[in-house]
Amino acid sequence: MSKSDPEFPPPGTPGAPEILDLRSRQIDYSRPLPGTYLTTGVRAARGYRFSKFCMSLMDLNKREALKADPEEFMAEAGLSDYERQLVRDRDWNGMLRYGTSTFMVLKLSNALGVGQNRTGAAMRGQTYEEFMATRNVKEAS
Amino acid sequence: MSGKGRIVGGLGSSHAPSIAVALNTGKDQTAQWKPLFDGYQPMIRWLEEKKPDVIVLIANDHANTFFFDKYPCFALGVAPVHEIADEGWGRWPFEPVPGHPEFAWQLAHSLVDDEFDIAVCQEMPLDHGFLTPLACTFPPERRWQVPVVPIVVNVLQPPIPSARRCFKLGQAIRRAVEAYPKDLRVAMFGTGGLSHQLSGERYGFNNNEWDHQFLQLVETDPERIARMTHQELMEMGGADGVEIIMWMVMRGALSNVVACKHRNYYHPMVTGFAQMILEEPNDGLGRLAQAAE
Ligand SMILES: [Fe+2]
Repeated sequence: MSKSDPEFPPPGTPGAPEILDLRSRQIDYSRPLPGTYLTTGVRAARGYRFSKFCMSLMDLNKREALKADPEEFMAEAGLSDYERQLVRDRDWNGMLRYGTSTFMVLKLSNALGVGQNRTGAAMRGQTYEEFMATRNVKEAS
Repeated sequence: MSGKGRIVGGLGSSHAPSIAVALNTGKDQTAQWKPLFDGYQPMIRWLEEKKPDVIVLIANDHANTFFFDKYPCFALGVAPVHEIADEGWGRWPFEPVPGHPEFAWQLAHSLVDDEFDIAVCQEMPLDHGFLTPLACTFPPERRWQVPVVPIVVNVLQPPIPSARRCFKLGQAIRRAVEAYPKDLRVAMFGTGGLSHQLSGERYGFNNNEWDHQFLQLVETDPERIARMTHQELMEMGGADGVEIIMWMVMRGALSNVVACKHRNYYHPMVTGFAQMILEEPNDGLGRLAQAAE
């Protein structure tokens, strides 16, 4: 991903806020799971505002406002440029890396009219048809 | 233990929003879905025969009941009636689910006395994690004949409780039931899993072999699962495969040796989907009867 976020540089880089490097005994950090972005401490904190934005879409009025004028809606929600770009790009994996839970991403994609398995197929880098061809039940969801 | 409460058995079932959609649109008998819905028939019959007075239903929230502003590791619903959550596309067309405040409050006190500091909730709307297994085990004419005490387990945002901790929570629930001063037949019901992942390039990951292994272990050797870390559970079953820790709460409340009365597995879309009935010996009096000898 070429986008960079001046407000939230990745931990460890110059200008990054000092955040404790938290470790859970339940996770083996020497064996990162491929294609998986866990919202452990640092990430969850970084993605919190974006998560709140996604969660607001539980409200039908907010979903309609997003549909009517996404830029206006994102500005009102106080998203950073970086966060807005994630939405414009439908960069679902970027949102996960940034620090939000997939259940937040799915609320956003739902509000943008993209179903769960379409979102998932895009996360995998496949078309919806390619992905569904690998499933026993092939109807839309 | 001078109580009269007893646990008559434990049920296990996966959950998924697509199940409620298939059920409510009458697709449950189509060739694609039938292998899944057939798996509920023995559970429906078991509940009719065993006649539990209350079901302790353990599921996870999917950010419909709680949000990350406050996210409890364990939460308990003590309301007389549990509302249906809106998951962002309108409420599921189900009636609110009756609770059992008297038992739920007793459970709250007993758990906290037992060092399980669970969040006690007087309002805790239920999402598909609870509703899909319930709707499938209670066909329309039987909804909702048995009150439900819901327990939410955090599997969304680390730190999440370990498999061991969940197993111990089940053991603490059993102590609460056995100390309950009234006759009360309790069925445990753990939901979630089995293998699935809903995020990242690994979206759609499944491991049918592990799922079968898990079903065998949860019946005969839950200690093996209790020893596993989240890392190991996620490697085997995908990031969201950790949801099986809810089955560990159910299993922890049962006797060491139980009778597996039913086991079904099918993999429709993104979730390895299983159902199971684990029955207590002697209609739930096995251990007490033994202790009296
Ligand atoms: Fe779930």
